[in-house]
Amino acid sequence: MRTRYVQRGAEVSEFSQIPIWRRANKKDLIQIGFGLIVVLFVLSSYIAAVLHLLPYDPLGINLKEMMQSPDYKHILGTDFMGRDILSRIIVGSQAYFMPGLLSIIIALFFGTMAGLVSGYNGGRTDSIISYILDLIDSIPKMVIILLAIAFFRPGIYFIMLIVGITNIPTVASLIKSKVIFLKKRNFIEAAKALGLKTRDIIFKHILWYNCKAIVIIQATLGMAEVILIETSLSYLGFGVQEPEPSWGNMVAAGKDYFFRGDFFLSTAPAVAILISILGFYLLGDGLNNLLEWRRRR
Amino acid sequence: MEKEKVVINEVLKVEDLRTYFYSYAKEAFIRSVDSVSFSIRKGEVLGIVGESGCGKSITAQSVMGLITDGPGIISGSILLTHNGKAINLLEGLSDYVSVKTKRKAILEITKDVAGWLKRSEILIKGIRGKVISMIFQNPKSALNPFITVGDQIAESIMLHSSISAKKEAIDAAAKWLERVQIDSPSMRLYDYPFGLSGGMCQRVMIAMALSSEPALLIADEPTTGLDVTIQTKIIELLKQLKEELNLTILLITHDMSVIMQLADRIAVMYGGRIVEYGLKREIMDSNSFIRHPYTIALLNSQPTVEEIKMKERLRAIKGDVPDTITLYRGCRFYERCDLKNDRVKKKCKEAEPEMIEIGTGHYMRCYLAEG
Repeated sequence: MRTRYVQRGAEVSEFSQIPIWRRANKKDLIQIGFGLIVVLFVLSSYIAAVLHLLPYDPLGINLKEMMQSPDYKHILGTDFMGRDILSRIIVGSQAYFMPGLLSIIIALFFGTMAGLVSGYNGGRTDSIISYILDLIDSIPKMVIILLAIAFFRPGIYFIMLIVGITNIPTVASLIKSKVIFLKKRNFIEAAKALGLKTRDIIFKHILWYNCKAIVIIQATLGMAEVILIETSLSYLGFGVQEPEPSWGNMVAAGKDYFFRGDFFLSTAPAVAILISILGFYLLGDGLNNLLEWRRRR
Repeated sequence: MEKEKVVINEVLKVEDLRTYFYSYAKEAFIRSVDSVSFSIRKGEVLGIVGESGCGKSITAQSVMGLITDGPGIISGSILLTHNGKAINLLEGLSDYVSVKTKRKAILEITKDVAGWLKRSEILIKGIRGKVISMIFQNPKSALNPFITVGDQIAESIMLHSSISAKKEAIDAAAKWLERVQIDSPSMRLYDYPFGLSGGMCQRVMIAMALSSEPALLIADEPTTGLDVTIQTKIIELLKQLKEELNLTILLITHDMSVIMQLADRIAVMYGGRIVEYGLKREIMDSNSFIRHPYTIALLNSQPTVEEIKMKERLRAIKGDVPDTITLYRGCRFYERCDLKNDRVKKKCKEAEPEMIEIGTGHYMRCYLAEG
C-alpha cells in the first residue's frame, strides 16, 4: 500500500491541526521505533566499547578459532584471523557514526544558510549562490571523494567533510523552495507589517517555526547516505583501514571466502549495513509523515 | 514647512502618489495608483472604496512601504505627522530609479534595488508597526500557524514598547485580548491560530496591530473572508475601539455597507484614480443629487432588503474595470457610465475631467458636476 501525499496550498492544513502524538498511526510508529532501535544500537556500541562489555576484543587475533561457524560461543562466528564477528560489527558501527555526524552538521548548517539567504533575498544573491551550488552538484560525489583521497590521503573525518560539502546543494535547494513558498504567505507579510526585523523573520518565523521538520528529516536521511558512502569506500580500501573494523572492510575481507561456503564473514556485516540504512531511512520517512504539512489519503 | 500650511490635525497626507509597475511583457507601465491625493485627520476614518483592481490595496501597501521588488516607480509624497514631526516616507526614493526614454517609449528602467530597499527600510524603520500598523484580509492565514496567539502578540508588544520581560508582555497581551472582546483571554493566549475561528483570528490581528498604540491603523479589507454575522461584529468592534482609543483608520474595502457604518470621509477609487472624495454625509446624503456616476453605480449594486424579498436580480455595473496599462484620453469610466448625456459626451471622450470642488471638501472628477 502506497501513501499519497498532497501538498496543500495557501490554507493551513487540517492535518497540522492535530497534535503530533495523535497524528501518528501504527505504521509511523513502527518506522520510527525501528529507526530509533538502530540509533540506540549505535549509541550503545560506544558505551559497550568504553565499559568493555563486548563479548570479545574486536582486534584480538585468535588463530586457534579461525573461520568458526556461528555457535553458542561466537554468535556470528569468527573471521580468518579468529576475530569475533559480532564484536567487530558492534564496533564497526562507530566507523561511520561520528564522521557521519560531522558531515551532516556541515551539510545542514551551510545548506540551511545558503537556502535561507538565496530563497529570501532572491535576485542576484540567489543567482550567485545557486551557481556555486550547481557547480558542486554537477560533479559526481564519488569522483570528488576519490580525487580528494588521491591528493591528500586523508583520514575518514576529512573524507566525511567532503561528503558534507557535496551534500550542501541538496539541503540548500530543499530549504530554498520552502522559503520561497513561505515568503509569499500572508503571515510573513503581516510580520513585516508589524515591523519585525528581517533577521527575526528569517530565523524565527521561517526557519525555527516552519523549517525545523525538514532539517531533522534531512539529518536522518543524510545519515543513511553517509553509511553507504563510508561502507563503499571501506570496501574499496579507501576508508577505514584494517585492523580497525568497519562494515565495508569486513565485507571486503570476507569476500574471498564467500564461495567456499563461509558466507557469514561477508553476509553478517552486509546485513548490518542493510538494517542500519533501512533504519535511518524509515526513521526519516516516519518523521516526515509526522512533522511535515502533508495530508495523506 | 513655512510655505505649506500643515493642518495640525492631519496624521497622513498623501499627495500625488503614483505607484507604477513596469511590465516587460507589454513594455509599458501598469499605473496601479495614478496621482492619488488624500489626507486623514486625527480620529477620523477614511474609507477607500472601489472594485477589485482599482489600486486600493496598492495605495495601502505604498504607505506601509511593503512594495519592495520589481521594477517600477513610486513617486509623490506621503507625509506622516507624528508627535509634531512630519516625515516624508518617499523622500529620496526616486533617486534610485532611472528611466531611459526614447521618444516617449520607455527603453529601460533601472532600479538600484539594494539601495532603494535600504533607503526604504531606513525611512520606514520605527514607523512600520509602531506608528502605522496594518490588519489584513483573511486573518487565518495572516497569523503564523506554529506560534501561539499569546506569543505572537507578546512579540509585537516587546518590539514596540518598553516592556522587555516576556511575562509582562504576555500579561499585556491578555489585556489586549480582553479589549478586543475575546472570551477568557488568559486561556486563549496558549491557543494556536488554527484553534480559533476566523473572527477570533481577526480580533487577535487587531489586538496585535493596536498593541503598539499606532497613530494610524490601516485596515485592508478587514472583513473579507469572514461570515456576514462576524463581519458585523468586527465592524462593531472597530467602531467601539475607535471611540475608546480615538483611532485614526484608513479603511480599504469594496463593501459599501462597511464604509457606511465606519467611515467619516470617503474616497472612491476607479482605475487607479480617486474619482470622488468627500465627507460621508455629503456623499451618502440622499438629498445631494450631485454624485459621481461610479459612486451611484456602486451604491445601486447594493441590494435593499425589499429587493431581496422580491427576488430581483442584482444590479451589477456592466463591463469590466479598465486595464491600467493603456493611457486613456478621456474619462476612464466613460464606457460603463450610465449617466453620460449629449451635453458632456464629447468632453468625456476627449479629456479626462479634473478634480473639481462641488461642495465644502467634496471633490469630484466628472463633467456632469460642472454647471
